Amino acid sequence: MAKKPEKKIIVVGGGLSGLMATLKICEAGSKVDLFSYCPVKRSHSLCAQGGINACMDTKGEHDSIYEHFDDTVYGGDFLADQLAVKGMVEAAPKLIKMFDRMGVPFTRTAEGVLDLRNFGGQKNKRTVFAGSTTGQQLLYALDEQVRRWEVKGGVKKYEFWEFIKIIRNKQGVCRGIVAQNMNSNEIVSFPADAVILATGGPGQVYGRCTASTICNGSAVSAVYQQGAELGNPEFLQIHPTAIPGTDKNRLMSEACRGEGGRIWVWRKNPETGEKERWYFLEDMYPAYGNLVPRDVASRAIYKVVVHMGLGMHNPNRVYLDLSHIPADYLERKLGGILEMYGDFMGEDPRKVPMEIFPSIHYSMGGIWVDRMHHTNIPGLLASGECDYQYHGANRLGANSLLSATYSGTVSGPEALRVACSSEAGDALTQEEMEKARKECVDEFDKIRNMNGSVNAHQLHHKLGDVMYKYVSVERDNNGLKQCMVELNEILKEWNDIGVTDHGTWANQEAMFVRQLRNMIIYAMAITKSALLRDESRGAHAKIVLDTDYPDMDPELKERIEKKVGKFHFDPETHRAMDEKGDLVFMERDDKKFMRTTIVSFNQETEQPEVSYREFEHSLIKPRLRNYAVAKKE
Amino acid sequence: MAEQKTVRFIIERQDGPDAKPYTQEFDVPYRPGLNVVAALMEIQKNPVTVDGKKVAPVVWECNCLEKVCGACMMVINGKARQACCSLVDKLDQPIHLAPARTFPVIRDLLIDRSVMFESLKRIQGWVEVDGTWEVKDAPIQNPYTAQTAYEISHCMTCGCCLEACPNVGPQSDFIGPAPTVQAYLFNLHPLGKFDAPKRLNALMEKGGITSCGNSQNCVEVCPKKIKLTTYLAQLNRDVNKQALKNIFNH
Amino acid sequence: MFHTTFYLRRLHSLVGLLILGGVIFEHIFTNSMAIGGAAALNGALAMMELIPHPIFLAIEVCAIAVPLLFHGIYGVYIALQAKNNPRQYGFCRNWQFALQRWTAWYLVVFLIWHIGYLRIFTKGITGTPISYELLHNLFTSSPITTVLYILGMFAAIFHFCNGITTFCMTWGIAKGPRVQKVIACLSTLLCIVMCLITLVFMGSYFVM
Repeated sequence: MAKKPEKKIIVVGGGLSGLMATLKICEAGSKVDLFSYCPVKRSHSLCAQGGINACMDTKGEHDSIYEHFDDTVYGGDFLADQLAVKGMVEAAPKLIKMFDRMGVPFTRTAEGVLDLRNFGGQKNKRTVFAGSTTGQQLLYALDEQVRRWEVKGGVKKYEFWEFIKIIRNKQGVCRGIVAQNMNSNEIVSFPADAVILATGGPGQVYGRCTASTICNGSAVSAVYQQGAELGNPEFLQIHPTAIPGTDKNRLMSEACRGEGGRIWVWRKNPETGEKERWYFLEDMYPAYGNLVPRDVASRAIYKVVVHMGLGMHNPNRVYLDLSHIPADYLERKLGGILEMYGDFMGEDPRKVPMEIFPSIHYSMGGIWVDRMHHTNIPGLLASGECDYQYHGANRLGANSLLSATYSGTVSGPEALRVACSSEAGDALTQEEMEKARKECVDEFDKIRNMNGSVNAHQLHHKLGDVMYKYVSVERDNNGLKQCMVELNEILKEWNDIGVTDHGTWANQEAMFVRQLRNMIIYAMAITKSALLRDESRGAHAKIVLDTDYPDMDPELKERIEKKVGKFHFDPETHRAMDEKGDLVFMERDDKKFMRTTIVSFNQETEQPEVSYREFEHSLIKPRLRNYAVAKKE
Repeated sequence: MAEQKTVRFIIERQDGPDAKPYTQEFDVPYRPGLNVVAALMEIQKNPVTVDGKKVAPVVWECNCLEKVCGACMMVINGKARQACCSLVDKLDQPIHLAPARTFPVIRDLLIDRSVMFESLKRIQGWVEVDGTWEVKDAPIQNPYTAQTAYEISHCMTCGCCLEACPNVGPQSDFIGPAPTVQAYLFNLHPLGKFDAPKRLNALMEKGGITSCGNSQNCVEVCPKKIKLTTYLAQLNRDVNKQALKNIFNH
Repeated sequence: MFHTTFYLRRLHSLVGLLILGGVIFEHIFTNSMAIGGAAALNGALAMMELIPHPIFLAIEVCAIAVPLLFHGIYGVYIALQAKNNPRQYGFCRNWQFALQRWTAWYLVVFLIWHIGYLRIFTKGITGTPISYELLHNLFTSSPITTVLYILGMFAAIFHFCNGITTFCMTWGIAKGPRVQKVIACLSTLLCIVMCLITLVFMGSYFVM
């Protein structure tokens, strides 16, 4: 076999996906320049707690890959590309074996094989896990393997380097990036044969979320502003069980529910009037109980707390209860996160119920990619949370580690294929690289010398407040319109930022200001696409307004009426409410919106432009999603 | 309205690697559950010292804020720990923050811990898998051994143990407890143990396990409560056996 | 590859515990004869004189001088690699770690004086045999000397007993925290007993 020519691929982001892609490229004999904000061992993948889904079928439940496929598509409310999902679920068991060989300390049964646990949105035990720190263990395994390749000379790591933008050659192919050393603040252009972005989610757009401080979506927004299309950015998963905090909302794994945790609030029994614990998820969704998917659980908690006013103790909290489960069992299955709750809240969840509330958690949307993870910019690939693939309108728990890893196994070899083909076009010239670098240097110098009156971190806080207010669990068109107005104001305010640090050594403030602008622009893409998607699907739940209702498709109107009975519009909020006082949501509109939202950036107006694109959904016929009854094939 | 309660922070700052350290004091509004990272974020929002001077915000490193990434290790009231889970309520005030000077300081509380990752290369901290492709089923593992491995695999390379260890620092070449104990993790794995002699030999080199002076600070400060000293003792045992093998098997 | 550091460190540990430990025991045993008065101590010293002179000298060089020099010089090198921080991290073992190094520094100075004056100058150069009377004179004439000697003995005993604990860790004998604690308690007990014996025989010079 002829030796393949040695190519250089730039991978931006050192989470599961970036590392997986890196390994694949190294194994094929090429080189990788790996860029990351932080030592790759500290990437956000390690915050994943519960596990990774793969059909191992070792629990006598006759689990099948098809079942996994169906659960994922159904859970994603039929907005995921089904061929892509099929590829992922088929590869899952192989990936688990690979991780096992690499030394991931998965939790095992007494006879030494991988244990499986339940997870939301699936009736079979399908989640492989390493205690309650699965993401950490998987990330470390890949980190170790990449370190091995670093020693062998396949990988050069650029840690503490921030990606600023891509550089395209004459043919418009992405052939390099500009990045900045976060310590010396030096800005450098790097050429490559292809570029993979694996930069994770945009959680920081919401300020307080379960994501790390590094998950700001800045890189995604940067390439979006350079012409990359976004797919489905309006779909952001809200995790039902997070510990609210002022610096961040800390995730309390879905594994708590998987291992038998129950969610409840105090209420007066409607019949007897006695004070009792109301296990409302079990009440509302008898088939799945506490194991309903995240979007369903979040909305239920919202309903109970915000609309019924049953949040206890603190206004915005419900209980997640593990105290009925034996302590040694908890220690073995959930030890790490229970300890975390103790560290941050000062109470022992083995004895008292935990206080939790929904929080922004994961972005199903991201850069639009095809099934081989190409973006619409040639030579630029995206994988991991930063792409839009696999999860549709809602992600099932424990599918994220899978999609991150799997997408790396696709994007890595594909990047190499492109690099070796004629698609790559010409290499960048010195002038092209220098020009791009100069632009970034000028921009940074401008930011460094900003002397306005606004503090960037306060503006970030404001951005988060606006997004939480209008674009979270429940959305309505009035709010989303208002949100666009406020985001445009925030973007204007950005120009009036003043920095106190004008230096060029580890100037975190100036780098943050640059990221903040990207975050605001990404927030606008989220909001605009949410505004235009007039339906409820997965994580995107839209309340019917009196202004929306007249123009609605008669079929959808009928479905709403059948579901909620009589309803009226609140004169003040214009929102539809049924006779019990519950909000009325729009129905899923497959005729109009069984399409991928495509958002592109208009360079002149700096506004997002939304269009829709067909995707592959021929394998499983869409059916309505209802977790109150067991799934029917 | 009653005056808002504040918390005083005394922060050791340093503008660059070779600059002279100095301290600045900040008052941060108190709220229940406040931790050190949240307080530093407040300072970012309003970087004004107690003297009313507007200064550059404090520079530090943090990512996850959940005590799993290991980024925000610093010296708080004299002890190395993660800033994110250091609750103000449980600390003596005023709160002193300083960089972990066992490592080179980049700026303020930001330090350069790359030496730890280099050490992981030295001890060959990985399993030599043939590749990421499918080979065959991974071997079955004793669940108890796997649990030990799980415990050690929690190590997040934060550097608390190195900062607390009296034998780690510019004066010594000791790689420190964390990377040393990682060698044991890979020696436990059914495939990783094939290379155990290599790792043990690496630990015998200068700066390896022999530099451990048994002060046992590491196990006291480890934020993940890894039983470092137990594994160090086990490694000592293994290394001694390996030494005998080296002598008598050649 | 030959792991010099490794073998030197292990030898340092072995020499300290076995050989120098033996020397300490011998010193305490012989000197404790002073409790029985002049005759008892002189008798014990005379017993040692029964060993033929060349053999005795060989023992002194091989079992004391060389090990002590190696342990001392290499020990200084080890001690220089530590930044003692017990005030920052006030855990029991960390104090012991620091004390191990502080006692080492004291012992370096003390032993140079002790060996230089008693073995090399008094016995070697002037030819005066070591006897109860000589020691009695030495201690009772200067309380400072007595205090320095008692501190020297205490330092050596602590250094030795703490050495037992760390030896068990370094050689992987005591692995878990519980057994390490038991060994630490036992060696502390030994330390106390040896210190008390030292106090008694040193005190006996003043009583009689």
